[in-house]
Amino acid sequence: MSGTQAVAEEFLEGADAVLVFTTDGSTYGRFEGEDRPVVVVATENAVGADTFVALPLEFDSTTDRVRFGIEGALDDGIVGEGDDVVGFTQTFDESRLDTIVRVRADEFTRTGLYDLFVNSRADAQVIRDVFDVVIELGKKGQKGKPVGALFVVGDAGKVMNKSRPLSYNPFEKSHVDVGDPIVNVMLKEFSRLDGAFVISDGGKIVSAYRYLEPGASGVDIPKGLGTRHMAGGAITRDTNAVAIVLSESDGMVRAFKAGELILELDPEAY
Amino acid sequence: MVNALEEIGDAISDEFAISLAVSALVLGLFVSYLIWRVTHRLFEWTGLDSTVEGTTFERAAGRFGTSTAGVVGLLFAVSAYAVILLFALNLVRVAEASGFWSGVARLMPQLVVAIVAIIVGVILGDKSRLVVQERLRSVKLPEAAVIPELVKYSIYYIAALVALAQVGVATTALLVLLAAYAFGVVVLAAVAFQDLLAAGAAGVYLLLNEPYSIGDEVRIDDRHGIVQEMTMFATHIEDNGEEYIVPNQQVLRSGVVRVRN
Repeated sequence: MSGTQAVAEEFLEGADAVLVFTTDGSTYGRFEGEDRPVVVVATENAVGADTFVALPLEFDSTTDRVRFGIEGALDDGIVGEGDDVVGFTQTFDESRLDTIVRVRADEFTRTGLYDLFVNSRADAQVIRDVFDVVIELGKKGQKGKPVGALFVVGDAGKVMNKSRPLSYNPFEKSHVDVGDPIVNVMLKEFSRLDGAFVISDGGKIVSAYRYLEPGASGVDIPKGLGTRHMAGGAITRDTNAVAIVLSESDGMVRAFKAGELILELDPEAY
Repeated sequence: MVNALEEIGDAISDEFAISLAVSALVLGLFVSYLIWRVTHRLFEWTGLDSTVEGTTFERAAGRFGTSTAGVVGLLFAVSAYAVILLFALNLVRVAEASGFWSGVARLMPQLVVAIVAIIVGVILGDKSRLVVQERLRSVKLPEAAVIPELVKYSIYYIAALVALAQVGVATTALLVLLAAYAFGVVVLAAVAFQDLLAAGAAGVYLLLNEPYSIGDEVRIDDRHGIVQEMTMFATHIEDNGEEYIVPNQQVLRSGVVRVRN
């Protein structure tokens, strides 16, 4: 027993910061008096912590969640490059802390996951809303059949100039925002439309049926992904937009920024 | 009404009057209970129960082991019973119909309305404060905290005014004060929101008619670029990393050049 205790103590010793993934006030209260910086990482700052990193999604994978937390803390300057960070998070349980991880902040290459949400042209909330829509679309499909979709978010003016309409635009003069409740009703219609959806920085659905015409040279996306991913990846290289793609063949949601694949999610896990 | 009661009292025999009074009292008990129940039901049906939840009044009522519905129901029930009691007393001529009791009878409805006005005012004021506070939550300015309080006390003031006017207290001075206050708020708002209103009105036209849309190349005055965003109040035009945010009334005033090539 004492052996285990020693290992655990050694595990926590010398860490420079503590990340707590919780929205629960009493859980957070137990970290009070800690002399290291305690960073709360959650979808909302429910505990009123001073240092807080907002999670844009309920990441299902512990790795993604911890990674996002560390990248956020690095970006805010709470954690330095060479620092050791201890994270208290959840792997099996939804709300109770059941996992302790320890990582060096520079142990992994920065994927830009945090960057994708926080430093994109479009508002973080808009990207979040688009993710919600795409995940919902991935889960539902059309009549049980998988569907594909491509959303280009932000820098809409430039995206519109680098694309052409495939048909008349159903969203012309409609002023629908991705965050609007009506979008959930329209989801089924969405899956029927070909081409890309263009969404402005502020979340307005500018157009559907867009055929993207970026130059695809120099786009580095994994082999095996189809034309939809290629088009999505390429447009983010030519503009400051973010592309969020739902794959028809494997049902995964992927996000591209600056021509690179940043995030891969399984909608079934949400 | 009181005179009519008196006449009825004169017309019938004493024994009959007493038995009528007693049965009225018993019936009144039942009617009061019914009113109390109906109030509760009404609160549930109209969703008032969830509306008042979380307000100070509801919490204060909760501390006394009741709820807003309970307090209002009790008020109605008690006043209804008081009316019936008065009726019964008149019938057996224990109380003189004229004088003090008739005054009470005349004041009764006004008093009930006044109390209801106060309760509604307190709840409404509290609720408005919560709503405004919620809207301003993202504004992290200590000065902004004054606004919800101001809204709350304005509503309290009006509720108190209504209640006082109901029971016949002279409220002219208070009314003048309210008028001055309302006038000040309106004038201040008109001056402060002048530009926003103009931009909003222009924005409605631009959004409805879309003379240009996102992705178009336009020139407004000497600002030239691609439209990136159109909102109610402003149009965002971007050109080589410079984003101009042009208020919509200016778009309308100076016109738009659409660049086609």
